[in-house]
Amino acid sequence: MSASPPLAPPSARPRAAVPAALIVGAASIATLVVAWQVVAMAGIVPARVLPTPLDVALRFATLAVETFSGSTLEGHALASLTRWVIGAACAIALGIPLGVALAWLPPLRPVIAPAFELLRFIPPFAWVPIAVLWFGASTTTQALIVFIAAFPACVINAHLGVSLVDPILPRAAAMLGAGGVATLRRVVLPVAAPSIFTGVRIAFSNGWMALVGAELVVGKQGLGFLISQGQINDSVTTIMVGMIAIGALGALIDFGFQRVERAWLPWLAFGAKRAS
Amino acid sequence: MARVRREARIVTRDAAPTPHIAHSAAVGAVSPRDASPAPVPKLELRGIAKTFRTDHGDVEALAPCDLAVREGELVMVVGPSGCGKSTLMSIAAGLEAPTSGEVRVDGRPAGPAGPQRTVVFQRFALFPSETVEGNIAFGLTVAGVARAEREARVAEQLELMGLARFRRAWPHELSGGMQQRVAIARALAVRPEILLMDEPFGALDAQTRTVLQGEISRLRRVMNYTVLFITHSVEEAVYLGDRVVVMSSRPGRIRRDIAIPHDEPWRGLEIEDASMREEFIRYKREIWELIRTEIVRE
Amino acid sequence: MAPRRSHAEPVPTATSGGATRAWRAAWRREPGRAAWTAIAIGSLCVMLGAWAWATRPGGAIPALFLPPPGDVAASFVRLVSRPYLGSTFGAHVLSSLDVVIGGWLLAGAVGLPLGIAMGWWRRARWIAFPLFQVLRPIPPLAWIPLAIVWLGIGEPARIFVVFVAALVPWVMNSMQAVHSIDGLLVRAARTLGASDRQILTRVVCRTALPTLVAGARIALGNAWTTLIAAELLAATSGLGYIALNASRTLEMGILLVSMLVIGVLGAAFSFGMQALARVFAPWSRGART
Ligand SMILES: Nc1ncnc2c1ncn2[C@@H]1O[C@H](COP(=O)(O)OP(=O)(O)OP(=O)(O)O)[C@@H](O)[C@H]1O
Ligand SMILES: [Mg+2]
Repeated sequence: MSASPPLAPPSARPRAAVPAALIVGAASIATLVVAWQVVAMAGIVPARVLPTPLDVALRFATLAVETFSGSTLEGHALASLTRWVIGAACAIALGIPLGVALAWLPPLRPVIAPAFELLRFIPPFAWVPIAVLWFGASTTTQALIVFIAAFPACVINAHLGVSLVDPILPRAAAMLGAGGVATLRRVVLPVAAPSIFTGVRIAFSNGWMALVGAELVVGKQGLGFLISQGQINDSVTTIMVGMIAIGALGALIDFGFQRVERAWLPWLAFGAKRAS
Repeated sequence: MARVRREARIVTRDAAPTPHIAHSAAVGAVSPRDASPAPVPKLELRGIAKTFRTDHGDVEALAPCDLAVREGELVMVVGPSGCGKSTLMSIAAGLEAPTSGEVRVDGRPAGPAGPQRTVVFQRFALFPSETVEGNIAFGLTVAGVARAEREARVAEQLELMGLARFRRAWPHELSGGMQQRVAIARALAVRPEILLMDEPFGALDAQTRTVLQGEISRLRRVMNYTVLFITHSVEEAVYLGDRVVVMSSRPGRIRRDIAIPHDEPWRGLEIEDASMREEFIRYKREIWELIRTEIVRE
Repeated sequence: MAPRRSHAEPVPTATSGGATRAWRAAWRREPGRAAWTAIAIGSLCVMLGAWAWATRPGGAIPALFLPPPGDVAASFVRLVSRPYLGSTFGAHVLSSLDVVIGGWLLAGAVGLPLGIAMGWWRRARWIAFPLFQVLRPIPPLAWIPLAIVWLGIGEPARIFVVFVAALVPWVMNSMQAVHSIDGLLVRAARTLGASDRQILTRVVCRTALPTLVAGARIALGNAWTTLIAAELLAATSGLGYIALNASRTLEMGILLVSMLVIGVLGAAFSFGMQALARVFAPWSRGART
């Protein structure tokens, strides 16, 4: 009942609305693509500035088989994915334990909080110039930027998840004879898992965004690099192919995470809905 | 007049004979207060039916229902859970359109929802962004009532409900009982012709509920509102009502319409005392028996 | 076994067990306010000290990798006192602020009404939501090259990118805020005689205000983050531009100062918006949601 939109009469068929929404949505996207095609073909703006969707699709196919700026589209995507996974994995490996520790051992908070809060507000890209000086135009630089973008989400969500666990649960575990570590592992972490998982999802998503920025500035491979090469070569089609590839990969992986979340964390599935 | 004749017809249909209760034979036909020729009912539901369409087929929530509430009358509606009481209320308020039938006020088709018929919801539905005062004044503000008049009426309601000290509080700072008092004050401030209450005390603890029941019965003596009041408490129904309408299980229809005369010896007592009286218990048992058979039937 | 163990348990062990327990309990308690502040300041001092010690002349970390704190302070003084890269430090900061506020406001002017409309009218949502679903996964930064090709490397390109970055949170949060309003409030308003328009302005938008402000805050954060990236790529002034130049000319102190100022301004935006929410939506402070 609560799902019905505010102004729609509550008697309106609640479920039947879904297909209608799908139809309208698909139509609206189709309209946009068609309008784009028409405007581009009409020649109001030069094709150099606004290619048609068809051009972009063709360019997509070309880039998939031909080498451009060092590798094919798949090669660039793979390079980006590698850096992304390395950076995000490090952020998760360090960030989640830190977040859990901060929640579980309160005296750590004043030790960590000042530096964390100071650094948290520096956007990941602001680290690019210094990272370049440190590590050159290497995978390490890119991965570091991903790490910096992903780390806070891991810490904050792990901290939040653990500190929101009802204090009655650890007490109940202690009453049943569980030690500190056992309580943490068997009781607290499973309850906090949805929030931690949300953190991981946000970490990957933030990392992906930051990686693109880093690749725009430095590097010789990757989807961000592909876009910047498109800019240098004045090829809007290449830029758009890169943007689409980045968006599609990001969306795909986020979708995958949602599926995994539902499969692995069937308990408390709703607890995970709090965002960063 | 045609209107009067129709009213008479409905009344006789309402007055299904109830052998166990002596008063019931005359129920409904003659309002306890005015025995003069049946006037046009203040609120009339004529053949109201409602079917919800869902994915898994149609749900018939209300079978055609007829119900007439006279001016100044307080009609209580009881029935098994899910029988369509809230649906009936939403339709009466004009918040939902019936599948068939119509709602009439003063013998004319009632328009969309508006301040003529205000509602007190089971969940208080206070506006979180308005203070107590702002909530009570809401209906007057949107109607463009002049400031002096508005403030006077708000003050009157604050006084009536004992909320004067909390006029500047935010809803989330109030207890459940206070929130519900604000909701009632908000509904009364616009001086509605009809007050619709959907299990207004359902979410409250027993003590607060008793206090508010007392206040409603006191308010009734002072202000003489036309009220349609839904409840799941049979005791509350007998205690507050001029009439108690018992609904059948889903699809809801009116099973029985029982008048509770004003001269019952327990009238004017507190609810705990009243509910000990033999006459009170007789009504209660009768209504309970009806509801029980409905639940069993389902 | 059992009796022997209990028998053999010496008194000192028991005491040390108690001490261990007290030690453990201390680790599970939040320090008091005074202790918290003391530890926090101590921690900052230790970190600063470690930094100074590691970067001292002949220390483990060369100044080209990380300059000593003194250098950073000196660079700050230098930046503030003399023009850098053609304009004063204040002008650089203002140039960044200009673009970020401009793009953010522009995005708000489009996104706020659009989001509210999408939350309120189901048809508007049906039409516009899928478009945003398609656009959302594309990082705002990925628009930068396109913006440069379309608009050149001037301010309009940066405003465009900031606009794109801020638009999605403006729209999505406004939509969410309005859409998640309890339908009962709308019904209550209707029975009290409010018109559709009054319901939208007096009930829905006001109730949604805390969430709307939260959306504005996220939008501003995104805008700021994206602007810095845009300034790294296409700018002739601004804090990101300073950072990139300092890194090219190996002026490590200036690089760190620009990063710190970027962080401080980002924090100021975030806290400022939170304060704004408290001023404009005082009821949200203690509201249980
Ligand atoms: N929007 C809706 N869509 C589909 N079915 C509905 C809807 N609203 C109510 N119903 C169905 O109509 C029937 C009556 O609902 P209603 O809320 O009127 O019952 P009720 O008598 O008020 O119950 P309760 O005493 O529990 O409040 C129920 O079976 C319910 O499932
Ligand atoms: Mg109900």
